[in-house]
Amino acid sequence: MNRRWSRGEDDISDELLLSGMAVGDDRAGLVFVRRYQRRLFGLALGIVGDTGLAEDVAQEAFMRIFRHAPVFDARRGSVATWTLTITRNLAIDALRVRRAVPTDPQDRVFQELMSNRRQPDDAALTSDAVGRAKAALAGLPIEQRRAVVLAAMYGRTAAEIAAEEAIPLGTAKSRIRLGMAKLREAVVIAEAL
Amino acid sequence: MSDYTTEPTRCEAMQEDLTELALGTLSGRSRSEVLDHVESCSRCQSELEWLSIVADTVLQLAPEAEPPVGFESRLAERLRGSSDVRRLKHRRRASVLTAAALLAAVLGFGLGTLVTARSTDNVSQTKTANLISTSLNSQGHVLGEVFVSAGNPAWMFMTIDSGTPSGVVWCEVTLTGGRVETIGQFNLSGGYAAWGAPLKSPAGQVRTARLIAANGTVLASAILPA
Ligand SMILES: [Zn+2]
Repeated sequence: MNRRWSRGEDDISDELLLSGMAVGDDRAGLVFVRRYQRRLFGLALGIVGDTGLAEDVAQEAFMRIFRHAPVFDARRGSVATWTLTITRNLAIDALRVRRAVPTDPQDRVFQELMSNRRQPDDAALTSDAVGRAKAALAGLPIEQRRAVVLAAMYGRTAAEIAAEEAIPLGTAKSRIRLGMAKLREAVVIAEAL
Repeated sequence: MSDYTTEPTRCEAMQEDLTELALGTLSGRSRSEVLDHVESCSRCQSELEWLSIVADTVLQLAPEAEPPVGFESRLAERLRGSSDVRRLKHRRRASVLTAAALLAAVLGFGLGTLVTARSTDNVSQTKTANLISTSLNSQGHVLGEVFVSAGNPAWMFMTIDSGTPSGVVWCEVTLTGGRVETIGQFNLSGGYAAWGAPLKSPAGQVRTARLIAANGTVLASAILPA
């Protein structure tokens, strides 16, 4: 069952690209950057709210991904999750270092994330678990949705959310927990299918 | 869900902190308390794993955005700056090139390819034409897949999905002319592995790849197309 690779680069798995990057194959690196740059930049922009800073964050994320490609362990999670987590952590650090004022949650990206409207190309981008999580997030009461997005995406602690939303700490903590518990149900169903 | 390994009230009281731990927003004393508990409670440990999956999934919901023009070339410059000294000697010459040419130099593409890469299927085929895949077999069963890339450097990658025992295995290749080279070793865990390594010889010379167990048994083999 030998075959010469004649499919498009979209069919090359993330793991295979990382393996190529790990040994310094520049073509693999370019395909990987093209595949992920919109997602990494989009996440960084959503968190830091500034194009220049978001670019710095996304580039630093790629630098780390290239550096750590040799030690990526596919059993511990997907490449997408790994790259997004690296980006999120760098974005949160960048915010804490460079600005005292956190992103205004009224901004465009936050609003898009908070909206309960589905994007037309969701299905193409996402696994079942992601699609279900998105639907579940859209179905949460607005205050739980805000709490989950602020914590998961923006790295806000319960105390920070309590202060920003002018609510007691206990309320912030329970909103986070209730929201996450509903998303968990949706994701568990998707994993069991 | 009634399978508590410690008293239920303690686990229940732990849920909010457990959620925040999964989100990465818990710090200080609460964090070490939850970690201590999780270590001794399998129920909360599994709950933490699920909540971490959920937290990761939320990150995947962030909307995409097109990076500013020049993003790729600026990234290429940074990657170049951090790459090994072997490449340093080329830097001065490269610095007089345009940003696009620099990206092409660093990422290994001709400028023409770079400019048209997104537009036609034809181009993406040439890009990947020197990546060859073939199945990895054991006594008629397919255990996984082997990929050999003729890039610079040449490298191989394999995935093993089923059927093989656990433990350390060696990968060796047979070259045109019959010479055998050991490429490396890795660990099969539960018959699963995804592993890659650079080749020592040109990719075009690789005829077969074999997986060898610690006791010398050939676990699986693949024949590369000529
Ligand atoms: Zn517990």
